[in-house]
Amino acid sequence: MGPRMKRSPSEIKLEQMLRSSKLVAGGFMGNDPRTPEEIIRDDAAALQRLGRTAAEIAQRMRTLTNTARAALGNWVEAEGKYCLRSEEWKGMLICPWPHPGQFEKRLTACRRLDTGEEIVWSDLNIHLIEAHGFFEGMGSPFRLEPETLVRILF
Amino acid sequence: MTFESCQITINNSRKQTVWGGKSLLATLHEQKIFIPTACGGRAVCGLCKVKVLKGGGPLTSSEKPLLTQQEQANGFRLACQVKVQGDLEIEIPDDLFRIRRYRARCSKIEDLTYDMKRFTFELENPKTIDFTAGQYIQLRCPPYNGIREGVTRSYSIASNPQENHRIDLIIRRMPHGICTTWCFEHLKVKDAVYFTGPYGDFYLRPADAPKIFVAGGSGIAPFVSILWQMKNNADKRKAVFFFGCNWVEDLCLLDEMKRFEQELADFRFVPVVASPSPESGWKGQTGLVTEAVQRSFQTLRGWEGYLCGGPGMIEAAVQVLAELGIPQENIYYDKFA
Repeated sequence: MGPRMKRSPSEIKLEQMLRSSKLVAGGFMGNDPRTPEEIIRDDAAALQRLGRTAAEIAQRMRTLTNTARAALGNWVEAEGKYCLRSEEWKGMLICPWPHPGQFEKRLTACRRLDTGEEIVWSDLNIHLIEAHGFFEGMGSPFRLEPETLVRILF
Repeated sequence: MTFESCQITINNSRKQTVWGGKSLLATLHEQKIFIPTACGGRAVCGLCKVKVLKGGGPLTSSEKPLLTQQEQANGFRLACQVKVQGDLEIEIPDDLFRIRRYRARCSKIEDLTYDMKRFTFELENPKTIDFTAGQYIQLRCPPYNGIREGVTRSYSIASNPQENHRIDLIIRRMPHGICTTWCFEHLKVKDAVYFTGPYGDFYLRPADAPKIFVAGGSGIAPFVSILWQMKNNADKRKAVFFFGCNWVEDLCLLDEMKRFEQELADFRFVPVVASPSPESGWKGQTGLVTEAVQRSFQTLRGWEGYLCGGPGMIEAAVQVLAELGIPQENIYYDKFA
């Protein structure tokens, strides 16, 4: 990790929002000491090594979410290799970036039938990855490792 | 920023003298006028729409995505984005004057399933609440365990409207959810809670038409209240309630539903289990709740539909009910949003 660039007031304000519990319990950063910019940069580098883009990952997540939604909260098999379930709660999840963005409070569980490996994401996760390249900080309950996503989704 | 005295005229009649400097949303809350909000004033939920007839400054860029062209043309604004810096004239629905802030005490917590609980709150101040069955409240979750800011979350009232000294809420746990984690892990019997309400226009319409209710999970909550209301009114209208869940372990309130079946003139409860295990011995309806509705009726022409659940369930149920002949305007829903 090189020397830190001087940060803008908006970047500092964003980090405060991401570390706060204003929008989700425990915030989005977990116990990660890195700045959001560093997390995004490191995850972008990981994606490059893996040969995938954030847009491709988000698109896969959205496709599987839509398949799971059709089962109305029940487990459903998909594509011969997944078991999926989307659950919904009252309310909205709000994007911490300073733009209008709210997402239905939905969690989608995706389990590989061959390995049993399972990950869970929210619709907000899809947006954060697609629009901001943000996979959340280490230790956040909804942190999604790029390596895990690529291994499970493709 | 103006910290001087300003006058807010509401609905061309009520005049409130307030100190300027805060948002209209916060200022009205201080005046005990509780405009609903889900995002705490960040211009993202769009719930706090009010019509501003005079004052309030220009529409901000953060409001535009949340207001239709028609709303913008008619003077609607987000109360959280309007700064009180001078006199204002606004219009709000009269129903909002009924909304109060309540202090209550938790008197009972019951496990309904492995991830759903029923909480009973006895009202302390004010001591009673007048609500229409189907409405919801906004519960204040205080700061806890490193969560420094309180939040509010909406929950349907699940109790008898006649027993207006208390309310029941049925809450399903959301993994890592701020408010449900507090309710499930921190809230104890005898603790004080605060909420505002009642809100919402999800309630039983007066038409004689038979009713079909469709819900999943904690979407059962408003229907408990609605069934109490039907019982209180000796309501003779036909009603059928399809309740969908994943496993037999997700079923709840079966005894209460059985009692409603016995006590109401023409009510039937139809639990639908999507994936019952062979060991469960389940003999009832299986598959998706919407499939069970399709199997059970050739037509629902002349009926009204009432739905409560996640957006996916609502969308699917609306489609099924429409296919069975219920016009869109006779389908009412409380979407989890």
